[in-house]
Amino acid sequence: MSDPRPVSTHGPDKARFVIAFALAVLSLVIGWDAWRLSGINSYSAVGPEVFPALIAAGLALLALANAVEAVREGAQDRPRDEIVPMAWVLAGLIGQIVLLAFGAGFALATGWLFAATAKGFGKGPLWGHFLAGAAMCFLIYVVFAKGLQLALPAGPLERLI
Amino acid sequence: MKHLFRGALLAAAVAAAPLGAAYAEINELKIIAPAAPGGGWDQTARSIQHVLQTDKLVQNVQVLNVPGAGGTIGLAQFVNGSKGDPNVMIVGGYVMVGAIITNKSPVNLSMVTPIARLTGEYEAIAVPANSPLKSLADLVAALKADPQKVSWAGGSAGGTDHITAGLFTKAIGVDPRKVNYIAFSGGGESLASILGGKVTVGISSLSEYDAQAKAGKLRILGVSSAARLPEAPDVPTFKESGVDVEIQNWRMIAAAPGITAEQKQALSATIDKMVKSKAWTDMLAQKGWANTYLSGEAFDAQLAKDIAATQTILKDIGLAQ
Amino acid sequence: MDTFAALSQGLMVALQPMNLLFAFVGVMLGTAVGVLPGIGPALTVALLLPITFKLDPAGSLIMFAGIYYGGMYGGSTASILLNTPGESSSIVTALEGNKMARAGRGGPALATAAIGSFVAGTIATIGLALVAPTVVDLAISFGPEDYFALMVLAFTTVSAAFGSSVTRGLTSLFIGLALGLIGIDLQSGQARLSFGVPDLLDGVEVTTLAVALFAIGETLSVVAAGARADEIIEPVKGSVFMNKEDWKRSWKPWLRGTFLGFPIGAMPAGGAEIPTFLSYALEKRLCRKPDEFGNGAIEGVAGPEAANNAAAAGVLVPLLTLGLPTSATAAIMLAGFQQYGMNPGPLLFATNPDLVWGLIASLFIANGMLLVLNLPLVGLWVRLLAIPRPWLYGGILVFATLGTLGANPSLVELGMLLVFGLLGYVLRRYDYPIAPVVVGLILGPLAEQQLRRALAISVGDPVVLFQSPVALTLYALSALALFGPLLFYVITGRKAPVGGDED
Repeated sequence: MSDPRPVSTHGPDKARFVIAFALAVLSLVIGWDAWRLSGINSYSAVGPEVFPALIAAGLALLALANAVEAVREGAQDRPRDEIVPMAWVLAGLIGQIVLLAFGAGFALATGWLFAATAKGFGKGPLWGHFLAGAAMCFLIYVVFAKGLQLALPAGPLERLI
Repeated sequence: MKHLFRGALLAAAVAAAPLGAAYAEINELKIIAPAAPGGGWDQTARSIQHVLQTDKLVQNVQVLNVPGAGGTIGLAQFVNGSKGDPNVMIVGGYVMVGAIITNKSPVNLSMVTPIARLTGEYEAIAVPANSPLKSLADLVAALKADPQKVSWAGGSAGGTDHITAGLFTKAIGVDPRKVNYIAFSGGGESLASILGGKVTVGISSLSEYDAQAKAGKLRILGVSSAARLPEAPDVPTFKESGVDVEIQNWRMIAAAPGITAEQKQALSATIDKMVKSKAWTDMLAQKGWANTYLSGEAFDAQLAKDIAATQTILKDIGLAQ
Repeated sequence: MDTFAALSQGLMVALQPMNLLFAFVGVMLGTAVGVLPGIGPALTVALLLPITFKLDPAGSLIMFAGIYYGGMYGGSTASILLNTPGESSSIVTALEGNKMARAGRGGPALATAAIGSFVAGTIATIGLALVAPTVVDLAISFGPEDYFALMVLAFTTVSAAFGSSVTRGLTSLFIGLALGLIGIDLQSGQARLSFGVPDLLDGVEVTTLAVALFAIGETLSVVAAGARADEIIEPVKGSVFMNKEDWKRSWKPWLRGTFLGFPIGAMPAGGAEIPTFLSYALEKRLCRKPDEFGNGAIEGVAGPEAANNAAAAGVLVPLLTLGLPTSATAAIMLAGFQQYGMNPGPLLFATNPDLVWGLIASLFIANGMLLVLNLPLVGLWVRLLAIPRPWLYGGILVFATLGTLGANPSLVELGMLLVFGLLGYVLRRYDYPIAPVVVGLILGPLAEQQLRRALAISVGDPVVLFQSPVALTLYALSALALFGPLLFYVITGRKAPVGGDED
C-alpha cells in the first residue's frame, strides 16, 4: 500500500477519527459479548470468552492509536469520490438481493446487477444492458445449474426449462 | 470405443434429465440436503436421488444443498418455505437434534413430517495401540480417578461424539460436566491426535477407526450399539462392559409440514419401495452404511425418545439451559 | 526398485488415449467450475464427482485428478485476472498476480502460476511416492502446542507484508481477527457475535470475505474515482509469455514454495493457506526488488502458487498412508475413493497398490495436461482484460455473486458480500492494507483452537506450550523474523540487506 505523507495540516484527520470511533464501538461490542460468554458455565480450561476479550482490548488500543495518528498526521487531501456512479453499483448489488428475495431468479436479478454496474461506469442504456445481462446470466444458469448441479436460485425464467 | 460411447452418453446425461421413465407415482421430487456437497447428509440425499431415479420410482429428483449451523438453516428454510408441498423432502439426522437444542433454533423436528430412518452409524471409543488403557473397565477406572486427566478427541462440541462422551461419563456416575472434551473440526485431525498419543481416547463413529484398528494402530475399546457389530465382532458393546449407554447416529428423511395423510402415505410408500430395492442395498454396501430402516409410528416414538434424552444430556454437559 | 516399476505401470495405464481424454475432460470441467470465486477444489470435486462414478476405476481416478488440479488452477486464474480468489489458498496469489495483470503482465503471471504449479505438483508427487511414510510419522507427532507455535510464526512473518504503517496493518489484522470470532466456538459450542442470526453461526466464509474485499471493494473504489482513475488496463505489455528475467526470478520461489508447502500440507492441521503466507513473506524478504512487492512482483505469484500446489499433494500423504482426510478436499476424495472400491487406510499401499500408483500416476498426467491445456490459453485469458471497463466490472460482479450463491444459496451471504465490499472500499480509501484482514480471519481461529486444545489437554498448565523441541524451534524462528533485521543493525551498524535472515 502506498502511504502518502501529510501534505497539509489543517487540524486533525476527521476520517481517521471516525475510523477510530468505529474501532472503539467494535471493541465495546466484542467486549460485551465476551462478558456475556464468561457468564456461561463452561467446562474447558480456557473458555470461549478469553480470545474475544484479548481482541477487544487490542481493538481498544488501536482505536486510541488511530486517534493519535489522526491528530499527529493532520488532515489529508483526498480526492473527492463521485457519489452517483458508486450509488449505481450499490443499487446493483442491493437490487440483486431484493430481486432474489422476491423470487425473480438468478438471471433477472443478476442481469440487473450487470446493467446497474455498467451504468455506474458510464455505459448506458440501462434497459439494453439489463436485457443483455439477463440473457447472459440465463445462459450461465443453464450451464452451471443444469449441467453442473449448482444450486442457483430459480425464478420464472429459470422454471421455463 | 465402448469408453467413448460411454463418455458421450455421460455428457448427454449431464445435460439432460433422464428420459422415458415408464412409470412413476411421484413425478418430481426436490430433496434438501442441509449441508455442503460431500458431507454425510449430502451423500445420503444424492444416494436417494440415484436410487429413486434408476429404479424409476420418481421421474425427476433434484438435490438442493442448504448448508449451515448443523442443518438448522436448511431445516428452517424447509419448514418455512415448503408448507404443504408434497414434492419436497429433507434429509437429516441425529446431529440435527443436538444442533436444534444448542443453537436455540426457532424450528425443530416436530415441525416436519418424519418419514423414515434410513441408515445409521454407531459410536466407538478408541485408544492408540500403545495406550495403557486395555479395556472399557480401565477407562472407567481412569475416569473415576480423575475425569479431567482423560482427554477425549471428537467432533465439534455438542455433537454426537460429545453427547456420547457425556452419556458415558454420566452412566458410570461421574459428573459429565467434567468431561475434558477436545473438539476437532475434521475426522482426520482428531484421528491424528489420537494416533500421535496427544489425547487419552478418541470418540467417533466406528467407521472412522475401523481401518486403523485393522492395521493395529488403534485399539477400539467399545461400541455404542445394542449388540456386537458384524464389522467389529471382537469389540464389546458399552452395555456388555456395564455402561448402560446405547446411541445411534442415524440419518433420516422427512417430508414437509402440513401435507395430507394421503400425500404422506404416498411418500412413505415410495421410500419403502426404495429401501427394499436392490439398488439401495448395493448403495449401502458400497458406502459401508448400515441399514437401520425404521418408519411409521416406531420411528416417531424413537425420535421423541432421542430428543428427550439429548435435551437432558446437553443440559448435564452444560451446553443447554 | 519396486516403487518405480509400480509407478511406470501406473503411468502406462494413465497414458492410454482414452484415459488422456478423461484427463482432458476433467481438467476442462474442473477449470470451468474452479474459476468461480468461492468454489474451491473441494466443492468442485464434490459437484463433479458423480460424473466420474460411471467410468471404470482407472478412468474415473484420472478424471478425478484432472478435476482436482483444474479446480485449483481455475482458482488461481480468477485470482490473477479478476482479483476474485476462488479458494482461500489462492488469496495470496491475487495480491501480486492481479497487480501484474493490471500492469499488462497477466501473461507471465498466469504462466508462472501454471509452471510453478506443475513444478511443485511434480516434485511433491515424487515426494509422495518416495517419502510419504517418513513424512507422515513426523506430521503425526505434531501436537496442538506445535501447531500454535506454527501459527505464531505465520503471524510474525506475515506481519512483514503489512506495509509501512504498523498501526494501519494491525488495525486491519484486528478487524480480521474480530470477524474470525463470529460463529459457534468449536470447543465450547457457544455462539459468539452472532446476535441470534442463524446464518452467522457458521462464521464468515474466508472466500466470501476475500472476494468482497478484493473484487467488490475494488470495483467500488474504481467507480468512485470516476474520471480520475483513467487507468487503462493494457492486457499485454511486453511479452505475453515469461521472458528470461521472469524465469530467473521464478525458479527459486517455485522450489522454496514447494519445500514450504509439501511438509506443511502433510501435517494434519497444516492446511494450504499457511504455506502460501509463509512463502509470500519469505519471497518478499529475499526479493532483490522489494519495492515491487505490492505492485506486482512475480516472485509473489510464483512462490505462493507453488506452495499451494505442493500443499495439495502433501494432503495426500496422511490420506494415502493413514487414511486421514485432513482437509475438506481430502474428505471428499475419501468419499470418491470409496466409490472406486478403495478404502484409504494404513493398509492401502499393501492391499491396493495398483490403485494407489494409478492415482499418483493420474496426478502426474493431470498436472501435465493442465500445463498443456493452459499455457496456449494464456494469451486468450489475458484478452479478457481488454473488455471495456463497464462490462469488465459488471462481469466481475456477476461472477463474484455467482460463485457466492453457488457455494451457499443464501441471501445473507450476498448481504455479507455487500457489507464487506463496503469495508474494502473504506479500507482502500483511507490507506489501510486489505490482506491482513483476510490473514486475521484465517489464522485467528486456527491459533485460538490450537492454543485452547493444548491447554485443555494439559488441564490448564501453560508449561506445555514450551516443552516440545518443535515448538521451541518455531518460536526461535519467529523471534528471528521479528528481531533479525534489528539485531543485524545493532551488530553491524548497517541496515539489513534484503534477505538472508530466514533460511
